[in-house]
Amino acid sequence: MERAGGSRRLSIPSTQVLEEQAQESDDLTDSEESIYSGLEDSGSDSSTEEEEAEDQDNGDEGTLKGSSLSKKAQAGVASQKKEQGQCQSLEAESMPSAQQDLPRRDEYEEDTSDEEDVRNTVGNIPMEWYQDYPHVGYDLDGKRIYKPIRTKDELDKFLDKMENPDYWRTVQDKLTGVDVRLTDEQVELVQRLQKGQFGDVHLNPYEPAVDFFSSQVMIHPVTNRPADKRSFIPSLREKEKVSKLVHAIKMGWIKPRKPKEDTPSYYDLWAQEDPNSILGRHKMHVPAPKLRLPGHEESYNPPPEYLLSEEEKLAWEQQEAVERKLNFLPQQYRCLRAVPAYARFIHERFERCLDLYLCPRQRKMRVNVDPEDLIPKLPKPRDLQPFPTTQALVYCGHTGLVRCLSISPSGQWLVSGSDDGTVRFWEVSSARCMKTLPVEGVVKSIAWNPNPAVCLVAVAVEQSVLLVNPGLGDKLLYGATDQLIEAYKPPEEERLQPVTWAVAAGAEHSRGVRLIIRHGKPVKQVTWHPRGDYLASVLADDSHTQVLIHQASKRWSQSPFRRSKGQVQCVLFHPLRPFFFVATQRYVRLYNLLKQELAKKLLTNCKWVSSMAIHPAGDNLICGSYDSKLAWFDLDLSTKPYRVLRHHKKALRSVAFHKHYPLFASGSDDGSVIVCHGMVYNDLLQNPLIVPVKVLKGHAPTRDLGVLDVLFHPTQPWLFSSGADTTIRLFA
Amino acid sequence: MAQLQARFFTENHMYVVDDVPFSIPAASEIADLSNIINKLLQAKHENHKYVEFDFLVKGQFLRMSLVKYMEAENISTEEVVEIEYVEKYTAPQPEECMFHDDWISSIEATEEWILTGSYDQTSRIWSLEGKSIMTIAGHTEVVKDVAWVKKDSLSCLLLSASLDQTILLWEWNVERNKVKALHCCRGHAGSVDSIAVDCTRTKFCSGSWDKMLKIWSAVPTDEEDEIEEAANRPRKKQKIEQLGLTRTPIATLSGHTEAISSVLWPDAEEICSASWDHTIKIWDVETGGLQSTLTGNKVFNSISYSPLCRRLASGSTDRHIRLWDPRTKDGSLVLLSLTSHTGWVTSVKWSPTHEQQLISGSLDNVVKIWDTRSCKAPLYDLAAHEDKVLCVEWTEAGLLLSGGADNKLYSYRYSATASDVGA
Repeated sequence: MERAGGSRRLSIPSTQVLEEQAQESDDLTDSEESIYSGLEDSGSDSSTEEEEAEDQDNGDEGTLKGSSLSKKAQAGVASQKKEQGQCQSLEAESMPSAQQDLPRRDEYEEDTSDEEDVRNTVGNIPMEWYQDYPHVGYDLDGKRIYKPIRTKDELDKFLDKMENPDYWRTVQDKLTGVDVRLTDEQVELVQRLQKGQFGDVHLNPYEPAVDFFSSQVMIHPVTNRPADKRSFIPSLREKEKVSKLVHAIKMGWIKPRKPKEDTPSYYDLWAQEDPNSILGRHKMHVPAPKLRLPGHEESYNPPPEYLLSEEEKLAWEQQEAVERKLNFLPQQYRCLRAVPAYARFIHERFERCLDLYLCPRQRKMRVNVDPEDLIPKLPKPRDLQPFPTTQALVYCGHTGLVRCLSISPSGQWLVSGSDDGTVRFWEVSSARCMKTLPVEGVVKSIAWNPNPAVCLVAVAVEQSVLLVNPGLGDKLLYGATDQLIEAYKPPEEERLQPVTWAVAAGAEHSRGVRLIIRHGKPVKQVTWHPRGDYLASVLADDSHTQVLIHQASKRWSQSPFRRSKGQVQCVLFHPLRPFFFVATQRYVRLYNLLKQELAKKLLTNCKWVSSMAIHPAGDNLICGSYDSKLAWFDLDLSTKPYRVLRHHKKALRSVAFHKHYPLFASGSDDGSVIVCHGMVYNDLLQNPLIVPVKVLKGHAPTRDLGVLDVLFHPTQPWLFSSGADTTIRLFA
Repeated sequence: MAQLQARFFTENHMYVVDDVPFSIPAASEIADLSNIINKLLQAKHENHKYVEFDFLVKGQFLRMSLVKYMEAENISTEEVVEIEYVEKYTAPQPEECMFHDDWISSIEATEEWILTGSYDQTSRIWSLEGKSIMTIAGHTEVVKDVAWVKKDSLSCLLLSASLDQTILLWEWNVERNKVKALHCCRGHAGSVDSIAVDCTRTKFCSGSWDKMLKIWSAVPTDEEDEIEEAANRPRKKQKIEQLGLTRTPIATLSGHTEAISSVLWPDAEEICSASWDHTIKIWDVETGGLQSTLTGNKVFNSISYSPLCRRLASGSTDRHIRLWDPRTKDGSLVLLSLTSHTGWVTSVKWSPTHEQQLISGSLDNVVKIWDTRSCKAPLYDLAAHEDKVLCVEWTEAGLLLSGGADNKLYSYRYSATASDVGA
């Protein structure tokens, strides 16, 4: 490698030299013809000699080749003759390698190093010094060597360049100033050097090297030099150094190194780990289960009671292998010598190994938790009295399924609407039907005015809402209600309304109907504002007018929404604040009626909301859905349900809150009513307590419908439920 | 078989046996004990006829075998058991069934007549034999309660309270069988559910759904009280409809927070009222103030007071009849509850002659006769009604009456008291 590098280093200046020569040839006077042409011939002998010498060099030592080359290059620079010779040598190098096998000769036989081709004797000086002179130096005789006459102008040069095919290989010799045409061999050499290859074609740069100065001690020394004297005499400086160290050790300044601890230092990665943690179980080793020791049965001569009788043997053979109590037949042998080799030994060993290998052994993590402890501590239903527990009264009279219920604010009268096209008024305490009001069509919804000073019932029948004065209770009250209705004066200019208000007359009036609000579409639900003047109705429609708010005293209706947000299931007024709940299939929206904006949107997580009810304090809402869920919302807490109860087996039809007692109930298609204790605390930090307390059964499911409506008595812990079995039941 | 030492005693002189301990089988029941007593009596009196007895151990009727009862009550079987025996009350004999046109809401009976109020807005007078004597129509709504004020041979005064918020005072001329509305008592703002006449028969009180208790004069006069009416009220129509002279209350007692369901006027100074607000209040008539309050935990339907044992019995919207002491100061102590009904107890009535017996009617269609010495089981069940029993009555003559939603009024003759009169 080194040699290669060396040669490259050498080769590059040589090319530079050539180029420089080429450049200079331009500058120098033009003399194309070599004036030393005769010289070339004359120097041919010496060149051959040199060539031979070169060959010998190559043959002897590759390492010295570089130096010889450099010598040659210098020689080439030094004299023209030498250069000539070199050209020859290059030619020779390109010759087949047969010459290498020439017999070795004395390399100094024809040493021509001191008779170099010195045609110019100026020596190794910058030739620019002769730039201004007509000559370039002096020959051996001391005569000036004149530069060749250069008469070529640029045009001639150009023509020469164009016409002379050897122009590209013509260089100027600096020493003599003559143009020299490089031979093919020389060109090849230049190209090789330019490529970074060795000048010698036959040189193998990767010949196996002989390591003379190896680490191994050979029997023959590399050098014949005798050993130094100092290698025999102890060193004085070392002695001083050692005595200093000894002194330091004696004085205790240097202490011996601590002996290295032999124990390898390991890091226990799992030292900190809790063995009870999940990863810890990997460390838990479970020893393989031990085989049972052989008993009397295994004996070669078992006691007779261990030997099987013929029947037992037969039974044993007929049994499945897994069912057998013993996996072998106890056998009796005369002596131990007579016992044959156990045929299944390998088989059983193998199976045991399989068992141990394939059946993972692990300790079962048994959690010692009493399941009772996991149940949250709920108060006993007994401590949450009162709540309805037993059926007390059955209100019979309807002939169709009873869809809706409502109760007078005093709790004396109950009103029910049915599919048989009647509205019935009942006395709560005796289940007596006091009045029957026939209407044309199915009664979808009914609502008694919550204002105790007004005796008015809103009934949704087909496409209209009837305002009925039942004529029950205080005479003064229902008389005043009638007066209130009659005292209405129509406004001066007619206002455009989405519905038409009509005053009932004739037979209808005598039956108690006072006002009829005719909607264009079937009415699904009516509900009163707690003050009792406004009522909202829901139409079976998809447009934005599906919710209407009516003002009974002014006989004025309006559609509060500009756009429809989906099919509205039910609506509800907030008991205290001017809020309005609108339940669509999946969401409950809470609108602020004063600001006329959406205040909240509750996500019910139900598929289809069927009903909702609000806690009398107004901060909690329950939603029943047809996918048998009841969602309790804490309006202050979140827009998601605080609790979802899935106690019913079928769709919920109705939910209700009690006005005074912490109770709520849900009625379902499975015919049951579930009463829950739902305590709401005044302390905002305390979450509501919800405890299911009672399942009330009584309604017989009819045509897949059970309980259609539930309702609490306003003052007593009593629950009314109406069902598809045409009855209304009171639970107390 | 185990034996028990028992000593028998009775307060009826006719059936006294020797006061010595007998050894009787522990498992003996009422019939066995009754046989023993009868045998003893036969041994004493030649001409003794077989009598059925009922037995009391420590004041409670024996309704199972003796040993079981003693185990249940933790009575030692080592000592001599004191067993009281009384003649067994004979079952009430059904007498009449009086058909009404509508539900019967109330009954009040005298020695000769029965007054009933009905949901068909009329009151009726029946003879004890079940003959309809008179139908009194005048109310525009359901008659909720009726009461006799005065019973003379010539003319009687009677009251009917109705859902139409009025109480009508009627005069019934017995000879001519004519009835005339004397006064129309106005002032309640809700249905009048209950009325009670005082001992002097000159005043009565009424309890209404409007939470008020009002005291009225029951003396017929010729003058009409003035009512301050609201100016805008159309009076004309009502004037025409109204029967009798308008009467206004003497006093109004307010204090209940819910409807009053039942009122009593047990003696001259006191009025008891039971309400839906779960309380029984006792009022002082003179001052019009509240004397004491008994607090229950259910709505009261009906109360009854027995001057013999000085207890209040209440029927409420659950299965129990509760006995209260009206004199007690801490007012929520139930002395006893009688439990056997399966529905709300709508009506209770003490026996006017027997201090331990009462009758009750319930929504489970059954009328029960109770003895306070047997609180788990009634003496007799009268299961004649086919619908809700709404009212019961017990006359001094030993007639039991019950009316209900099946439009029928049943009467029973019950002679149990006869043997006890001498006691």
